[in-house]
Amino acid sequence: MFRRILHWLCRLILAGIFLYTGYIKLRSPLQFAAVLAGYQLFPDALILPMADYFPWIEIALGVLLLVGWKIRYVAVAACALLASFLAVLSITYFRGIEANCGCFSFEDRISLLTLGRDTLILLPALFLALTGARAARSEPAPAKTA
Amino acid sequence: MRISYLVSVLCVGLAVFAAVPAQTPQLTPEQAVGGKLDAPVRIEVFSDFQCPACRGFFLDSIQKVLENYCSQDKVCVIYHEFPLKNHNLARLAARYSKAAQRLGRKQWLTVMGALYTNQAEWTWDGSVDAVISRTLSPQDFAELKKRLEDPSIDTAIDQEVALGEKRQVTSTPTFFLSSGGKEERVVGGVPYVVLKGYIDRLIG
Repeated sequence: MFRRILHWLCRLILAGIFLYTGYIKLRSPLQFAAVLAGYQLFPDALILPMADYFPWIEIALGVLLLVGWKIRYVAVAACALLASFLAVLSITYFRGIEANCGCFSFEDRISLLTLGRDTLILLPALFLALTGARAARSEPAPAKTA
Repeated sequence: MRISYLVSVLCVGLAVFAAVPAQTPQLTPEQAVGGKLDAPVRIEVFSDFQCPACRGFFLDSIQKVLENYCSQDKVCVIYHEFPLKNHNLARLAARYSKAAQRLGRKQWLTVMGALYTNQAEWTWDGSVDAVISRTLSPQDFAELKKRLEDPSIDTAIDQEVALGEKRQVTSTPTFFLSSGGKEERVVGGVPYVVLKGYIDRLIG
């Protein structure tokens, strides 16, 4: 029962985060492009296409997490997205570049706090990826055969 | 089927929500540093002469927009003074800029360019006057000094600061890009390549 509640909680939290962050990026594509450019990591030619498509990926993940379709694969995709985002932020931070995080708003600078917060967000995605749909149904793990 | 329906409804809903109607205030042609007010794209910048990011945005991006788009009236660039309280010389520089604006667009652009290009110099020793004097003609400089005595310069700056605060400007540069009745607020500078790509997309 506890596992089931935890599973739903993780799904709702992650879905909420993805929908919200996708929405704010969709609302301000140029601002998001400016944030991406601020990382000084991507080629200029890729910045606008990334600013166009990235929010939709987040929204799609949010919707799929809510719907619960192929939850394990979606959670793996969410993990990959969050991990790559965390890697980009870490690289930018440790290169000493003062850039905006672009996570929940466009005015928070990348700091150890934002890196820690994004690491925490990765945890529910990891939990879902590891437990998959089984936890939602409260099914016991299949017994191992010799 | 149900999932795809749900996703479509959500996407349409988000797209509708994402469109922010423009809330541009009454502007006069004198406030434009380049282009005409009825240009298809309008960029309204709130800037502080003592802010290094504002310097980079003006010299690296806005000047190129002025050259490549404003000269063809495709983009209108408007500059508002927004001297930050923690920059001790920003207000003084804004007064020179505002006075130059009243001399004409050419003189205004010259003063803005000089203030940003020589930012390190005048922020170090406060020599705003010396920096401006060597960039304007003697006649224009004399006229500018006269205009600086006009108390309405300070009123105009206060009004622009109040406008910025009303539009939730808290840091510089912050700019508003509007086109086709939609407006986007951007905090911080944007590299020219990105801005160019975005403007090209808007004007087709």
